[in-house]
Amino acid sequence: MTTFIDYLLGGVSSGAIIALMALAIVLIWRSTRVVNFAQVGQAMFTTYVALTVRDATGNWIIALLAAIAAGAVLGLVVHWLVIRPVKRVDTSGAIIATFGVLISLQALAGMLWGGDTRGYAPPVSNDGIQLAGRIWPFSWYDVLVIGVTIALVIGLTLLFTRTNIGLAMRASAFNPEVARLSGVRVSRSLAYGWILAGMVGAIAGVLVAPTSQVSPNSFDILLVFAFTAAVIGGLDSLVGAVTFGIGTGLVISLVSGYSDSSNAPVVALVLLALNLLLKPDGVFGHHHSRAV
Amino acid sequence: MLTVSELSVSYGAVRALANVSLTVPPGEVTAVIGANGAGKSTLMRTLAGLVRPAAGSATLDGQPITGRKAEDIVRMGLALVPEGRSTIPDLTVEENLRLGGLWRNRSDRAASQAEVFDLFPILGQRRHLRADTLSGGERQQLAIGRALMAKPRCLLLDEPSLGLAPLIVTQILELVSGLARNSGLAVLLVEQNAVTALRVATTGIVLNLGEIVQTGPAADIASDEQLRHAYLGY
Amino acid sequence: MHKLMMLPGSRLVQHAAIALAIWVALTRLNQSVDPLLSYYLALVGMYATAMFGMTILVGLSGQVSLGNGALMAVGGYAFALTSLNWKTVPILGLPWNAVWSVVFAGIFGILVGLVIGGLAARLKGPYLAGLTLGVAVGVPAIANRFPGLFGGENGLMLTVPYPQGGYDASAVDTGPADTGADAIPTEAPDLPTEQAPIGGESLAPSDLLTVDDLGGAVSSAAPSVAPSDLITPDDLMGATGAPIASMPAEPSALASAGTDLGSTASGGVDAGSVDVSAVGGLILEQWQATLSITMACIMGFVALNLVRSRQGRTWQAVRDDSIAAAVSGINPSRSKVSAFVVSSLFAALAGAVFAQLLTYVGPGAYGLGLSLSLLVGIVLGGRASLLGAIIGAVLLVWLPVVVDRLSADRGWPEPVTNNAPNLLYGLLVVLVVLLAPGGITGTIRQSLAPVLRRRD
Repeated sequence: MTTFIDYLLGGVSSGAIIALMALAIVLIWRSTRVVNFAQVGQAMFTTYVALTVRDATGNWIIALLAAIAAGAVLGLVVHWLVIRPVKRVDTSGAIIATFGVLISLQALAGMLWGGDTRGYAPPVSNDGIQLAGRIWPFSWYDVLVIGVTIALVIGLTLLFTRTNIGLAMRASAFNPEVARLSGVRVSRSLAYGWILAGMVGAIAGVLVAPTSQVSPNSFDILLVFAFTAAVIGGLDSLVGAVTFGIGTGLVISLVSGYSDSSNAPVVALVLLALNLLLKPDGVFGHHHSRAV
Repeated sequence: MLTVSELSVSYGAVRALANVSLTVPPGEVTAVIGANGAGKSTLMRTLAGLVRPAAGSATLDGQPITGRKAEDIVRMGLALVPEGRSTIPDLTVEENLRLGGLWRNRSDRAASQAEVFDLFPILGQRRHLRADTLSGGERQQLAIGRALMAKPRCLLLDEPSLGLAPLIVTQILELVSGLARNSGLAVLLVEQNAVTALRVATTGIVLNLGEIVQTGPAADIASDEQLRHAYLGY
Repeated sequence: MHKLMMLPGSRLVQHAAIALAIWVALTRLNQSVDPLLSYYLALVGMYATAMFGMTILVGLSGQVSLGNGALMAVGGYAFALTSLNWKTVPILGLPWNAVWSVVFAGIFGILVGLVIGGLAARLKGPYLAGLTLGVAVGVPAIANRFPGLFGGENGLMLTVPYPQGGYDASAVDTGPADTGADAIPTEAPDLPTEQAPIGGESLAPSDLLTVDDLGGAVSSAAPSVAPSDLITPDDLMGATGAPIASMPAEPSALASAGTDLGSTASGGVDAGSVDVSAVGGLILEQWQATLSITMACIMGFVALNLVRSRQGRTWQAVRDDSIAAAVSGINPSRSKVSAFVVSSLFAALAGAVFAQLLTYVGPGAYGLGLSLSLLVGIVLGGRASLLGAIIGAVLLVWLPVVVDRLSADRGWPEPVTNNAPNLLYGLLVVLVVLLAPGGITGTIRQSLAPVLRRRD
């Protein structure tokens, strides 16, 4: 029983990071009806930015802020240069274009920073906390990760429910025409979605870096997990992304604990396939996704 | 005052509107009636900036609105309530209303919201409910309320009767025409249901296959049997 | 296959003539160029085979799939496992022949394609892409899960028939010297840290598989002279004299990066009794290219018939408007599944060829990078065109070579050289989607259209 609880505890913080990445995917899906497969590529790139800034300043928080800023810029650039012009051309094209962006970013990162895997030291200890006579599979860094995630989820919730920008973004996502007739500058709202997603993804990247290391490809698997969580959560739902992001983290932690960590991608695949099989309505429910 | 002159719209090779000219004076309801496919919705969507005209122009109190973006036209004072209860079901009643005047400052918005709640008290009672829990008539009121939140000088109503019980339609339209009389709002009403529309309207315009075939006092048009047979089908 | 019969006989003959003409031309070319170019030719054939399937799946049927690299893995592993473990054909009891391995690769490809396609047919756009992305990452991971069967991270080593004196002498001489420095790429999809050092250089982790990645594997495998698990010339010539012994791979030999290969190789020098003169003394690369070209031409012929058959139009009808297609009596989901299964067959057969080119199967070779390569190739060449698939295949092989040459001339730093092809691919994909969705062939066709019309 204690092992079970240990495995669960060990999965919470990785689940939180999956949740953040899933949030980024959902933010963009809601605004533009595009699944941004380049999201982890952007997060990888901004994490390299953070790494560079941290090497220069030695400060974790400044590095995080730099990554967030870079994430915002990158999100805006991808939206304006790639997604906006491509969207009305064809639906397969938007998907393919995001993969093009992913490939480009990974190659560019390899050029700029080399292909070697780099470590990213956590700002606080990543060793298990010693409490009540035993070492728990839970570190102060996990606490930090979970804290940042909770703060971010609260912040996003407030943004969407309490602010005009949030309302404009929601309206633009749900019904662009009514939004325009209400005086909302829809294309600007969509851009906000990409900026926001870029920032959330950047935070996820910096948070995951100490456990996954940093290399042009080391976040690929995170894309699979995050996509799984986002789809199971319904792709439209921020709450769903967070819930199933953490859920995915827990399941993966249990599977890795009881069997082997190399099972994780297969488990994610099975979860995804089961969900798509059992809940086809949840998938077909979005009238926007028709036709391809 | 909304002035439309020589407006033409084409969808590819199909001409949807041909040289339409009309005026919508403040303080009264002007009704555009005609059969399905007469170009009524196209006229509304073009005026609101959702469709680009091929030729012609429209001005609101002398300011040109053709060629501008929809989101700018509404800020200039022309608001459209599109066909089919144009509310956003995932937002609450209050959020739908807030959306309608998002660019205005907080106190202006609060004043407009109070006016909307005065006009449609049911919306005030349901302000915290999601729009998809409302009945059809309530949602139509919310859609009109959302448009009024922009404090427009000209309101365009596209087929408000669609799918609603006649009694409810009459109630809503009488509220709107009262609003026009009291506040000097110019209302352009498009309806397939000519009887209801002409009852509240001052002026009637008959549109057929994209062209205006008749303009005159609403009462005259309502009593013109020939016109009814030829274009309105009753 | 009954769909093929719907074509008029004259079309069939015409298509066969095209395929045969290309086969003859390429075979002549193969015999007259140096081994490196033959090897490139082999890669082009392999990519083209897989991408014909992509033309049908992505282009005609409109399903953007990232899973075809994984389906190639299915074919590669089926090929390797059957040839390593089976001595007779199940049920039939015939002696095992490597051609059977290709057949089984195809069968497994179809089976797995049915499973994934059955799921995928219910999905639209991004959901399908995401699921197949999961397949691309998840399926190679299965190899890690069962190291006993699949050889784990290190994969399975296949050996090449290589009787002494039968090949170009220089290839034999220089081969063993290379092995010390070369190694087989063994990175796992989620562990890009373990880059295979090739030719003493360290490769930057790159998501796409480039020729560089493959070159090392081949030159190291070339000199191994153990009994064969690959298709030997004999298998195709109908001779049964060559013993097709099974030799399970030794991951440990691979783990110690190539140096052991030399000794393994020398251990089996005279085991093969292949009559090399029967195939005119082809050197290894030429032989690999012959296999690959033959496969590509056969499958190109099949693809051409499918594309121009009623089935081809059915796929397009469902892509353009599945509801309208359903109204006119087409079953959209059956059409989507069939496109998936057909493309799986193509992928699996290409995977079997790939196993021969690498003389190795492993999760690293069939990772997400391979899937992305196929998508890049098909998009650049032209999504809905078989000619586009061929052009895409050429681009995938040729572009890295050009970059390498440029880099050598200009003295680019290593990270730039290693990543330049992928950066180009990524940017080109975005540009093609934005500016020329038809890819190279689509754009050419579009610009030629007015000219052709005038002539009519």
